[in-house]
Amino acid sequence: MKSSKIWTIISFEFITRVKSKGFIISTLLGPIFLLAIMVIPGIVAALSMEDTSKKIAVVDQSGYFLDKIVNSDKSTFFKSDEPIEKLKQQVLDGSLDAFLVIPKNIDSVGSASIYTPGGGGIGLVEKIQSTVSEIAREKRLIDAGVNKSVIDLVEKEVKINTVKVTKEGVQKDYTEFYSIFGYILGFMIYILMFSYGALVMRGVINEKANRIIEILNSSASAMEIMMGKIFGIAAVGLVQVLVWILMIMAVSLFAGSLLPMFINQPEVVNLNSMPTPAQSLPFEIPPIPIGTWVAFLFFFLAGYFLYSSLFAAVGSAVNQEEDAAQLQTPITMPLIIPILFMPAIMGNPDSPLAIILSLIPFFSPILMTARIAATTVPIWQIILSVALTLLTLYFSIWVASKIYRIGILMYGKKPQFKDLIKWIRLAK
Amino acid sequence: MEILKISNLIKKFGNYYAVDNLSMQVNEGVIFGLLGPNGAGKTTTIRLITNILFPDSGEILIMGEKINPGLKNKIGYLPEERGLYKKNKVIEQLEYFGRLKGLSSKEANNRARFWLEKVGASGWETKKIEELSKGMAQKVQFVSTVLHNPKLLILDEPFSGFDPINTELMKNIILEMKSQGTTIILSTHQMYQVEQLCDELLMINQGKIVLSGNLRDIKKQYGTNHLIIEFEGDGNFIHQIDNQKIIDKTSNRIELKIDSYEEAQLILKNAVINNKITKFDIQEPPLNEIFIDVVSKSIEAQNEK
Repeated sequence: MKSSKIWTIISFEFITRVKSKGFIISTLLGPIFLLAIMVIPGIVAALSMEDTSKKIAVVDQSGYFLDKIVNSDKSTFFKSDEPIEKLKQQVLDGSLDAFLVIPKNIDSVGSASIYTPGGGGIGLVEKIQSTVSEIAREKRLIDAGVNKSVIDLVEKEVKINTVKVTKEGVQKDYTEFYSIFGYILGFMIYILMFSYGALVMRGVINEKANRIIEILNSSASAMEIMMGKIFGIAAVGLVQVLVWILMIMAVSLFAGSLLPMFINQPEVVNLNSMPTPAQSLPFEIPPIPIGTWVAFLFFFLAGYFLYSSLFAAVGSAVNQEEDAAQLQTPITMPLIIPILFMPAIMGNPDSPLAIILSLIPFFSPILMTARIAATTVPIWQIILSVALTLLTLYFSIWVASKIYRIGILMYGKKPQFKDLIKWIRLAK
Repeated sequence: MEILKISNLIKKFGNYYAVDNLSMQVNEGVIFGLLGPNGAGKTTTIRLITNILFPDSGEILIMGEKINPGLKNKIGYLPEERGLYKKNKVIEQLEYFGRLKGLSSKEANNRARFWLEKVGASGWETKKIEELSKGMAQKVQFVSTVLHNPKLLILDEPFSGFDPINTELMKNIILEMKSQGTTIILSTHQMYQVEQLCDELLMINQGKIVLSGNLRDIKKQYGTNHLIIEFEGDGNFIHQIDNQKIIDKTSNRIELKIDSYEEAQLILKNAVINNKITKFDIQEPPLNEIFIDVVSKSIEAQNEK
């Protein structure tokens, strides 16, 4: 009897929401939105990189550098015989981005000058610095009578491969990729917890404001109504995430078979006993351990239950959505804090700061998931954070159900935080 | 046999006693009036009976069973403040409320359609609540309360929002349910409806009983002390009546309290001198007056303490 009531509530919450236009639209547009968030910065970065190839005039008083500099990047550098004063004028009126002056005695002074209208970005300066230095270094070697073949040997670049040591042996390390992936997973959990938690809160407020709650409560207990709503919306969230994952997999499969036609395959680095990355993509995607996905699902659900129970408590206390803002702050703060710490933690996921913050139950869903994706988290830390999160979850549902039971029947003046504490004591 | 038996019920909110040592019983198959001024503790009492609130002490027995969540399926409750999901279709939410009362979806669907037709609302099944007028929504609300055939039906101001025609319709439905054995607790401020419908009543104020019993007995106890005279003439006889006894007076009608039949006869004797009497009627006091009398006395008693 008891379980069938909560089941009725779960199915009603689930079906009415899944059938709604809002759900269908957000499910279909979600990945496009997510893709845009991930792709647009890339495109912007790519565009701005090309943007550093501004038009730069080269005035070479030494006579050695000009051709070499121009040849290094013909789209950026061009030869100029105009007097410096005139070039300055052109920079001022904007017809020229910058000009580079190589002094006659560059070898003895060891410096050249770039004239810009101010700024220009670090990318521009670095680019010129490395181009000019390289040529100057080569010239000095030649001047010192070093053989050309020796110079080539010296100039040859060394590529750094990061190799990860595991029990199973060495494997290529994808530190950077895993860091970004951890960031994305943490951020996704944040968005999911926030949006679905708010959905629970709005649902509770709707039932209270429209006076449905008393009818429900005469049929089922407050606990059944609250948990039914939380579970029902959790199911909606799971369906949405699942649809997204399937859509992303389908798109990447399609894109994976399509992209290599346009972009050259990357050089495949051969190291022994290295798992083969997905090679059809233009960039390497290393295998994602199943444990990361398990952690993602666990912490998404645990975090959702933790926060949505608190959101439900706040929703039960207020009479309309506008009144919720103030009471919501204690919930939204611990949601936002991990996002603020995320860059620092992803920069060094094994630091004491990262370990401590990721063990705090209200932060664990975001930070522990991100760390698990980014680095090898010791098993004791995972077990500890799971235990702490579950304990906090149990406590938060206990507190929330007490506030909820009283709150749904309270109309009238806008409650303060201290009223909620009073209600916890009042509810037996 | 009593369907509801409450003994020594206490419910406190902080230091305030919303229900203060209340004992009562409701017999099966009656319409029971639960009356009292605003803030008397009616809603709290109903919420205790429907297991929405939990008492601090005392006992509630429904059909001889101590109150428990399982009993919720046998109770129908129409709260004073109504509400439905605005965005959902009529049939969807009726099915939902029915299922919450333990019906299967199919049963709930069939009963919902049956009841919608009965209240004159067939054809509304696929409408959303926001598309309905207030009165229409009230009917849907009523259906949601009765579609699981409750043994005990609690109605809080069931006629508010209805026009006279629909009020009549709902009254007839309530009487029909009574004849089929449903026990109904009616809470309302509309005293003439209590007089029309209720068999027994209980009046509370500040969480305590101030009056209870069979409606007929109560009225008899208050005596047939109400005199109405309608007349054509100078109306001079009115000046000989103690002003405090007069309840209502117009140019050709007077309503007053009397202490005895002899007093009525004396007034009639005076009246016939210069007036043509068109109506002379000694009545039981209306419940409205008993209500005001009892409540103000209980407030006086409270103040004296």
